[in-house]
Formats: sequence, C-alpha cells, structure tokens
Amino acid sequence: MKKTIKKYSFAYLLILPSIISLFIVQVIPSLQGLYISLIKLNQFTFKDFLKAPFVGLQNYFFILFDPNSMVRVGLLGAIRNSAIFTICVISGTLVMGLGLAILLNQNFKGKGLARTLLLLPWIIPTYIVGLLASFMYSYDGIINRVLVNILHILPEPLSWKVGPLTLVSIILITIWRFFPMTMLMYLAALQGISKDYYEAAEIDGANDLQKFWYITLPFLKPVTAMMILYGLIQHIYSFNIAAMMFGLGSGYPGKWGDLIMTNLMRNSFSLWQYGPGGAASIVLMLLVLLLVMVWLKIFKDSITIE
Amino acid sequence: MDYKTKRKIKRIASQVLLWIAVIIVIFPIVYLVAISGSTSNSIRTGTEFQHISIHRYIKNFIEMQKNANFFNYFKNSLIVITITTFIALTLSIFAGYALAKFKFPGSNLFGITMLSTQLIPPTLILIPMYLIFITIQRTIGLQLIDTYYGLIIPYVAIFTPMSIWVMRGFFANLPSELEEAARIDGCSRFQAFRLIMLPLATPGIIATGIFIFLTAWDELMLASVLTTSAKVQTIPIGIRLFIGRIQNRFDLTMMAALVITIPVAIIFFALQKYFVQGMTAGAVKG
Repeated sequence: MKKTIKKYSFAYLLILPSIISLFIVQVIPSLQGLYISLIKLNQFTFKDFLKAPFVGLQNYFFILFDPNSMVRVGLLGAIRNSAIFTICVISGTLVMGLGLAILLNQNFKGKGLARTLLLLPWIIPTYIVGLLASFMYSYDGIINRVLVNILHILPEPLSWKVGPLTLVSIILITIWRFFPMTMLMYLAALQGISKDYYEAAEIDGANDLQKFWYITLPFLKPVTAMMILYGLIQHIYSFNIAAMMFGLGSGYPGKWGDLIMTNLMRNSFSLWQYGPGGAASIVLMLLVLLLVMVWLKIFKDSITIE
Repeated sequence: MDYKTKRKIKRIASQVLLWIAVIIVIFPIVYLVAISGSTSNSIRTGTEFQHISIHRYIKNFIEMQKNANFFNYFKNSLIVITITTFIALTLSIFAGYALAKFKFPGSNLFGITMLSTQLIPPTLILIPMYLIFITIQRTIGLQLIDTYYGLIIPYVAIFTPMSIWVMRGFFANLPSELEEAARIDGCSRFQAFRLIMLPLATPGIIATGIFIFLTAWDELMLASVLTTSAKVQTIPIGIRLFIGRIQNRFDLTMMAALVITIPVAIIFFALQKYFVQGMTAGAVKG
C-alpha cells in the first residue's frame, strides 16, 4: 500500500485538488441531500436544520403516493412533461443535426460560411434564448406574424405561451439551441467514413437510401450513442430556457410546460418544501441512473471506453 | 434523364435546402440584433423593423446602462467566470494528464466517480450547499452566500469533471516517447510534464478553457440561489431583475441580450478552430 502510493505519488498529487473539490461540492452535499430527504425541513425547522425531525421515508411517500398532496400532482406532471421534452429534443437534435451534416458534407462554394452560420445558435447563452423566445412567441410576436400574415400557413395566431402548446414551444426553441453540437459531431464522423465503401456499394448497384441505411448509419452509431447520453443528462435537467421564457419566480411555465427542474426549484426555494425537494432529487437521480443503464445495455457494442 | 443531369439536380436541390435551413436557423439571431436598435412600442405593435436606426442603437445602449447599471453585472460575471475557468482548467489539466498517462490503483474509480457526478440533479447539491453556507456563516461567521468565492467554489467543482475527460482525451493522444526521452535527459516528472506535454496539449487546453467559460457564462440556477445582492450577482440574474425593474422596455432588454452575446461570439469566432476540434475530438473518440 505504502509502496504503491509512493510509486504513483506524482499521479496522486495531480488528482488531489480535483478530489478535494469533488468532495466539498459534490460528495458531501449529495450525502447531505440524502439526509435532507429524510427529515422534515421547511420554513419552521429551517433555522436549525440539524435539529429538524427525522421522518424516514415520509417525504418520498408524500411526493410519490400521497393522494392528497398537490406537490405530487405537480411533480408527476412535470416528470411527464420532462419525459416528452427530453425525447422530443434528443430526437429533434439528432434528426436535424444529421440532416444538416449530410447537406454540409459535400463540396460547394460557401460551405464554411454555411457551417459557421449554422453553429451560431450554440453560442447564444441559453437564458438569452429563453428571453428572446418569450418575445418571439408572444401573441403579437414575430413567429405568429410570419406564420399568419407572411406565409399564410395559419388562419389565426396561436397562443404559444399559454395552454397545451407551451411544451411544444419550449421543445422547438431548445432543439434550435442544441442541434449545432449534434451537427458538428455528425459532420466530423461523416468525414471519417472512407469513400471506398460508397464506391463499392455503387458498383453493386445500391441506391442512395440503401447507402445511407447500410453504410452511413452504422458508422454513425457511436456518435449517436454519445449524443443520446449527453442529451439525456443535459435535457432532463434543463432549466434556463423554460425559466427565462416564463419568468423566474413568478409562475414558471404553468402545468402545460412545467419541467422537473422548474418544478423542483419552485417547490424548494419559493414554497420552502426542502424535504420533498430533496426526496424528488434522489428519485430523479435513480431514474436517470436507470436510463443510463438502459442506454449501456442498448449501445454496449458500439461504445469503447478505453 | 441521364445519370449526370440527375446528379446535378440533386446537388442543386440539396444546396437550396441547406440555405433555406440556414435562413430559418439564423432568423432569431438576426431578429435579436435588429430589434435591439428599435423602440419598445414598435416591438409591441409589430412595426419594429420600421424604427431601426443607428441613432436608436446608441440611445438604447446608453439608456440600458443608465437604467440598470448593467456593467456592474457584466463585471461580476467576468470576474467570477474568469477565475472559475482558470482554476477549473488547471485542475482538469492535472487530473486529465494523470488519468491519461498513469494507470494507478484507484484511477478507474476516480474516473467513474467524476463521470457519475454528471448524473446528480443540480437541485440535490444546491439545497445542501445553501444550507451548509448558511451554517458556516452562523457558526464561524464566514460569509459565503453572496460573495465571489461562494460562487466560484461550486462552479469550479461543477465544471471540472467534464473538462477532465476532455483533457484526458487530448493527453491520451500525445505520444509518451517524447516524455520518456526528456526523462532520460534528466528532466524530473514535473519538468517533463511542463516542458514537453503542456505545450503539445495547447489546442486541447484552449478548447477546454472555452468550453468551461461558455458553460459558466450560461449558469443561472446556482447563481439565482447563492447570490442576493447586486454586489456579486451575475448577468443572468441581473437581466432578470432588469426586466422586472423597467417593465416593457423590450428594446433595452434586447440590447442587453446583444451586449451579453457579443463577448461570447468574439471568443467563439477567434478560437473556433480549436473549439470545434476540441469538441469533436473529445466526443467522437468517446
């Protein structure tokens, strides 16, 4: 033991600062979060939280099964919304990213310009995206005006920010913000596919669709797998766009567009429901862990972790 | 129709499609730039494009600063995020190098723990963090809420794990022979790292640095809980208060949004090559 530490002392020295910061900010608070989920912590016990009464799994029961709890209704609705949101955003960014990467992956004049312009949404901070979206989606906003008055696609303006369309509008703007990264990854992967495969397929008489299905897609599987995992973690915990679109603090998106994070932040910090908030965070983490395991099962063969 | 014409039509069609997509994608950004030089009333009534002028841009810019003390938030963001980027980058260079070049007992555990922190919901650590900060202040009188370092400490730890993996990818691609040669020539471990590996990893370091900077520039949730006064509040909080304070000044809000985006855009365009290279290298190699 002493010998190995000495042998690798340089390596241990290098990771030591990261371990310390990991402990202070991730490990200890996580354990504390677990503890908070087991105590009754609200505005009355908050002042001295170490003395708050221990209630066991009561918070978990409260958020998951208690038929009288409004928090449960709100949270389950938010989980449903977040599930729809995450699935739609991941598939949307994958489809849009792949489509545009394929269009970009040919030689033509202005290719560099097109690529740079398509990457632009990526550099807009997400809270600005939410703010801008809230202007654009308003009833008299530019989106309604373009759709109704200029393109004549709709007979009358839609209410994007209130009612059932709320989630759709958050999904659309989130796809807009996040597709450039997927596009870039796909573009890099496409450039790594040797032309020989396509030429051989052409000689065998394959059409475009067959080439895409049997050559391009299998080659892109590792990137797709990484992007799904990345999207899963990023979008389940999505907060900024929805929060800024609907104004932090006041009401948030309402039941039609409430996501897990907007719901948890409101319950914890505006309504003083720290205990249930902690319990919900733990449940959420287990849920994400489960999803990652499913992901591993599906993509086991296409991912190599050195 | 012969094969050649068919191919040509396909080519033209795909380019038309691409440029249509480009127009749709950049439309919101053009709109942002345009209306920040328009008037509030015209944005509300849908005549914003008729009132854009250079004069308006200047006027909105000055009014925005006057009404909201905007550059105070800008300064806070810049201080917090520059220090965060510097520390987090240093930690990830060290740890990334260690993970890439040494196979020490516990290296797998360390790597996996780092990755699994990404699964923790931000709310799980945010509530305890807030309580710990308050408890520290009550017991030993050290104020952490509403201070620069009260924001920098969590930021560093939150942005480090991903960066370690990106840095690890870069170091893993560098040949170890150079380092061994330097060791034979009498360099110490640290000298070999500093003189040989570090310069070679510069593109990766720049890419990781931009990655941390951009992510931190975008952070809203922690800042909204851990800061309470304009003294340290960062831009996303500032702009939120700004909307509340001068209600319905869409033009000023959009001017602020434009000003916030400009430094990010400059960094991105200046270092685009490294950034794109870094992001793809990290992910494609998995």
